[in-house]
Amino acid sequence: MLETDKLTKQFKDTIAVDDVSLVLKRGESVGLLGPNGAGKSTAIAMISTLMKPSSGDVRLNGKSVLKKPDDMRRVLGVVPQKIALYEELSAYENLKFFGRLYGLSGNKLEQRIEYVLELVGLADRKKELVKNYSGGMQRRVNLAAAMMHEPEVLIMDEPTVGIDPQSRNHLLETIRKLNRDEGMTVLYTSHYMEEVEKLCDRVYIMDHGKVIAEGTKEELKAILSDQETVLIEFDQNYPELFKKLSEIEGVQHSTIEEQSLKLIIPRGTRMLAALFHEAERYGAQVINVNVQTPTLEDVFLRLTGRKLRD
Amino acid sequence: MGAFLIKDIMLLLRDRSELLILLAMPFLLIAILGFSLRGIFSGDLEALEMDIALVSEENEAQAVASIQNEIEEMGVPPEQTEALTQAAESASPQTMLVSLFEDESLSELITVERMDRAQAQQSLDEETVDAVITLPEGFTQKSLRNMLFGSKEGSELELLAADLSSPQTDVLDSILQEFVRTVNFEASISRLSGQESAAEVSGGIETITAREPITSFQYYTIGMAVMFVLFVGSTIAGQANLEQKQMVFDRIRLSNRSPLLYLSSKAIAASAIVTVQLALLFSLSALLFQTFAADSWAFWSGIAIISITLAFSVGCLAALMVAITLRLESDAVPAIFSGGVISLMAFVGGSFMPLDGMPEMLRAIGNWTPNGAALSAYFSWLLEPDLSQLMEPLMRIGIVAVVFLLLALALFPRKGGAA
Ligand SMILES: Nc1ncnc2c1ncn2[C@@H]1O[C@H](COP(=O)(O)OP(=O)(O)OP(=O)(O)O)[C@@H](O)[C@H]1O
Ligand SMILES: [Mg+2]
Repeated sequence: MLETDKLTKQFKDTIAVDDVSLVLKRGESVGLLGPNGAGKSTAIAMISTLMKPSSGDVRLNGKSVLKKPDDMRRVLGVVPQKIALYEELSAYENLKFFGRLYGLSGNKLEQRIEYVLELVGLADRKKELVKNYSGGMQRRVNLAAAMMHEPEVLIMDEPTVGIDPQSRNHLLETIRKLNRDEGMTVLYTSHYMEEVEKLCDRVYIMDHGKVIAEGTKEELKAILSDQETVLIEFDQNYPELFKKLSEIEGVQHSTIEEQSLKLIIPRGTRMLAALFHEAERYGAQVINVNVQTPTLEDVFLRLTGRKLRD
Repeated sequence: MGAFLIKDIMLLLRDRSELLILLAMPFLLIAILGFSLRGIFSGDLEALEMDIALVSEENEAQAVASIQNEIEEMGVPPEQTEALTQAAESASPQTMLVSLFEDESLSELITVERMDRAQAQQSLDEETVDAVITLPEGFTQKSLRNMLFGSKEGSELELLAADLSSPQTDVLDSILQEFVRTVNFEASISRLSGQESAAEVSGGIETITAREPITSFQYYTIGMAVMFVLFVGSTIAGQANLEQKQMVFDRIRLSNRSPLLYLSSKAIAASAIVTVQLALLFSLSALLFQTFAADSWAFWSGIAIISITLAFSVGCLAALMVAITLRLESDAVPAIFSGGVISLMAFVGGSFMPLDGMPEMLRAIGNWTPNGAALSAYFSWLLEPDLSQLMEPLMRIGIVAVVFLLLALALFPRKGGAA
């Protein structure tokens, strides 16, 4: 129902979004994955008609929205990356204001406020000022505000940054419910792999303004199907040993995380013997060895040579 | 529109520090400046209170009688003799002087007691009186001759003050100067217009007292009020900047509401706040400092007309500032405005001190600032509640407001489409 066609945005010296074509089908839940500065927010600003593209097009049901953004705005519920709320007003007052902007009033308005507050689990604290809420609660109101006008498509820009695990779970659960039970179309932006893995049917991976991979989770992981990830935990950090191990033949990529080492190797490579041999030579104690199937994180690592988060 | 307006007003009411700037600060300044600068404004009566002794070294009745004799001896037609005789009686300078001091506005300020010379000198030494006015022998006669026959022989009186350099003495001195001048000058009018002479004479004296000058409290209540309403512009533009930064403005754009609705709400909110601000400042100042003696509906409705015009222009100014702020995507405009421009405008508008001695250029600019124009409108109303005199300053405020509004509309980023 919604698509972008070679969407490009050039700022003075950076190309923030470069030739991005996305498709969102009705009822689908799509993830947009990318590290900081990948161009996710810029892409979303263009899709939601808040920013004019340098070139390319955004279409809703086949019709370009660049000249006439009204229809798009009506169907879209946008959850911005920032907390786009009045801090000095309560959750209820914020929702009332945004509801009235959409022409709701009277009973209907109150009912809708009640519904969205229930949805994000804040009905009992609606009278408190937004600035006194925890980060997680603010995020939930941020979502609630985008839901006031019963949108068909929910576009979320990193809705879970900087919140506690409990709020995060609640939020993810809410979004999943909206998508599964109410058929809401969802575009979910994040640099948290797990979230996208849990929530989305299909994923676009962006880096440096470009879409570098797309597909269902399974399709993407198939990129790594001939590989496996070995996670080795030592009793402490051995810089020289880690370097040595990374250079063992067949290792395609390695990452060091404090006292553990992560290696991506071709499936079926026999390297455990070499591993223990080297460990012994350095007097290192291996605490745990874990062979994993790849995650989207690994896919990203493979595609870009970098991690999603620094 | 209602939604916008309620939200804008609620935001302001929740913002303690802004409220403090908009209401508490000007009030504090009115109190400080009003008290400390009492005395430099001629209308500050309390500071000028004084007791004076009036010494008359002549017999007034005798002097009048002798002048009346002179008139009869002149052999003019009887009706004229009659008129002149009456004039001599009612225009007796001593009586005029006493009734001048007994006049409503001066009697609060000056207490006069008749004494003889020795008594007066003693009181002055003991400082129970601040000054002694002596009417020397022949004062009445000379004055009356002067007034009725236009003789060139001027009359003089004598002022003896405990402290010659005190502001009280200055005021008293100028009252007396004016009086003597009136007595000597009115003579020609008296003589020329014959019959109406008596009325003319008292009319001449009236001019000293009829116009009530402005007190320091009146000056600074109005000065600070017209200055601090300007801060509303900054407040509102600051709000708009925050809305843009926190992306609430994006939410508003997404709602498909006409952006002009947003802008007009800002202007109306600003006007409403200014109206409330002015109402509170004026009424508090009136209650606590007795700033405005007049309590008639007519007086306050004049004040209201000026206030509403001012509020309208600040609304337009706020709209302009909002437009520029959103266009530049920066809070520089409200910051610069509240950090310096307001003080400048207040200065050239005469909020801190009267601009009488300032260069013509500066006063001209001040006259075209909404605050400066409003200030002169308020003052003119205080001095003389005459609607026709308000037209000019109010017109200036209106013209400037419309210019602000047109600029605001031109500069406002109309992000109706994807922009
Ligand atoms: N208004 C702007 N002017 C100039 N450059 C910009 C502007 N907005 C974004 N950029 C640049 O465009 C690039 C993409 O930014 P964008 O915010 O879209 O990334 P993102 O994927 O949302 O990152 P994050 O995960 O940090 O939110 C960045 O290099 C950023 O510096
Ligand atoms: Mg972003």
